[in-house]
Order: sequence, then C-alpha cells, then structure tokens
Amino acid sequence: MTDPSLAALLGRVAGGDPAALRLLYQAQSVRLFGIANAILRDRDAAADAMQDAFLRLSQRAGQFDASRGEAAAWLGGVVRHAALDQARRRGREQPCDDPALGDAAVAPEALDQVLAADEAQRLHGCLAALEAKNRQGILLAFVHGLSHAQISARLELPLGTVKAWIRRGLLQLRECLA
Amino acid sequence: MIPTDPRERDALAAEYVLGTLEARAAAEVAAALATNPALAAEVTAWEARLAPLQALAPPEAPPPDLWQRIEAALEGHAAPAPALAAAATPAQAWRPWLNLWRGWAIGASAVAAGLAGLLVLQPAPAPRLMTVLLTQQDQPAWTVEADSQGALRLAALNPRPVAADRVLQLWALPQGATAPTSLGLVPATGQMTVTPRTLRPEPGMLIEISLEPPGGSPLGRPSGPVLFIGRLTRAGNS
Repeated sequence: MTDPSLAALLGRVAGGDPAALRLLYQAQSVRLFGIANAILRDRDAAADAMQDAFLRLSQRAGQFDASRGEAAAWLGGVVRHAALDQARRRGREQPCDDPALGDAAVAPEALDQVLAADEAQRLHGCLAALEAKNRQGILLAFVHGLSHAQISARLELPLGTVKAWIRRGLLQLRECLA
Repeated sequence: MIPTDPRERDALAAEYVLGTLEARAAAEVAAALATNPALAAEVTAWEARLAPLQALAPPEAPPPDLWQRIEAALEGHAAPAPALAAAATPAQAWRPWLNLWRGWAIGASAVAAGLAGLLVLQPAPAPRLMTVLLTQQDQPAWTVEADSQGALRLAALNPRPVAADRVLQLWALPQGATAPTSLGLVPATGQMTVTPRTLRPEPGMLIEISLEPPGGSPLGRPSGPVLFIGRLTRAGNS
C-alpha cells in the first residue's frame, strides 16, 4: 500500500511541523494502537508505548527513507519497537497462557485473510512453506511480542529448539523472498 | 557486541526486528543503528520483509485522551486539545465479521424499528434516538436511548446473570465505520449511561453487546459471541 501522503507527513514532521504529527496520529492511531495492544495486551501499557513511539517519531521522522520501504510499515515498526521495549521493561511478565491471548493469538486463517490481499502474497507463500510450529513461533513473536521462553512454553518445545527453529525459519524466509 | 560476520549480523538484525532479542541485546542493536550502516541496512530490509505481518494485529481505537497526553509530553506541559475525530483505519481483517454484522442488521432492523415504535417511553429529557437490542431469536432484551447531549442509556428489559467468568461488553459501530468502538462493560445491574467521547450517536448506528472474558475483549472488537444487536433510529414524537 503506497501512501505518498503518509510519507509527505513524515517529511513535514522531520521539518519540525507539529501539525503534521497530529495528522499522522489521526490517520494511523487505530492501526498503530492495535499493533501495540497486540504485543502488550494491556490498553494502559499500549497507550504508554504509543506516547513513547510518537516522541521517537517527532525526533526521528527524518530517518524514514521512502526508497527503502512504505511509510505505514515504518510507522508500524517504530510503534512495535516501542511496545517491545515496554514489554521487556515489564519483564514480559504476561504468561504464555495469557487468557487475553487465548484464541486471539494469530491463527492460520487470519494469516490467509490478511495476507491473501496484496503484495503480501509472497511473504504468505514463504511463511506457508515453513513448518507449522516454526511459522507459529515467528508469528507469535512478531504480532504478540512473545519471547523465546514464552514461545517455548506455548508451543511445548524445548527453549533451544525454539531458538534454533526461529533462526532457521527467518533464514528460510530471507532466501524465499530473495 | 555486534558481529562482523555478515551472516551472524543479518541473523541478529532479523531477531531484532522479530522482537525476540532480550533487553540488553535489543538495546545494543538499537544503539548501533546510528553508527553501523551495514547493520542498519539489514534491519531496514527485515522491517520491510516482515511489515505485512503488522496487519495481523487487530486495529483498536486508542483511549480518547491519548493524543492530548502525547501533545503534553511533546511540549513538556499540559496543553488543552480539542477532541479528536475517531480515526478509522481500513482493515482487511475486519471484513468477514463486518459483513456478517451488516447482513444481520439489514434483516433485523425492520423488527427493531417496529419495536422501537412500541417502546417510546416517557423519559425526561426525551430520547433523540433509540433502539431495542434483540437476541439472536429476535427477542427484545435491552433498550438503548440516546439523548440530545450524546449520552447513551442502556437498560435491561429482562435482566439475566451471565456466567461468573464472563462479562457483557457494549459496542457502537457508526455507519460507514470499519471498526466498532467499545462503550465499556455492562454492569451487573443491567443499567448504564455512557457518553462516548469519540463518536456521536446518530441514526443508523449499530449497537451490540458481546460476551467477553473478564476485563472485556482483548481485540478492540468483539472476541466472543454477539448476543444482542440493534440499530439506532429516531425516536417518535413523544
């Protein structure tokens, strides 16, 4: 999804235009808050992560490079890392059997629905080629911010196995997408 | 310490983007991005590769006062800000659920409109809008009234307890919106009044109640079954 207006807004934020940051917030806050909340599963913590992310954005918008990615994806990345930092500060104390995660944890069908649509098809195909638990581990980490230990507990696999599988899965993904 | 071996460095970049690095390693990578262009390029490439997965997180409306908090943090002092219009984001993930909801609404709104005619009550101030939430068997179960100030009043017609480990959550979906807004958890009394800050009750708005785990849906949309649903219509001239 190419969105030149988001990229333009990021350019204005980098140039010190405070109104542009607010426009970015208005355009993206529901999606971005969803990203933070999927990782933290706590609206207060997700709000803190959003605040942190927008402070980072106000300082680092100039680092966005439109030739190397979409503005929406870059914004999502800034929020994800703010939320992951928040999760790490909280010791990722949410247990892997967190009821808030429950059936809501990314399911294969969700993957089909979301990724079938657009240019994400290639990623979808490459994820589909991974072993199921391998793929699930990657999704749990990316979408829900689970640590190796939490993934190991949730998938009932030894920690070392999870680490090795995820690493191998990422390598396979890179080759597949190359 | 950031590896110099390209394969090791790329694996580190991948795990940084995935989010599985522990706090210290993640902080080390984040700090090195400014001075290590090879690492930074690998991180950027991994962000782009995995970015489509961002769409797997269900969109969720942030707290209404969040922008004011951010603005205050940016300026270093509390600054009053006008209320934000809800920023709706299209989400592919929504569509099947939304279509289901809309399909229901077309069938049941006629029933609801008919019942609404019967249920013009005697309140002061007179409700501007109202609906009756029906069960899946089209049995009236709740009344919802919106007054001219934008407050919504919910009242159970036939209060029934829910399971001890479940709660009822009230939602509103304005016409044309892609995501519903939570109006909060329904108290055990079956009566509540809520004034949504990010949306204004209007004719055609869908109101529903879903069954959720304690604390409400973790998804920003109903995660459990939708038990009751109705569409706001103009109240009669009472």
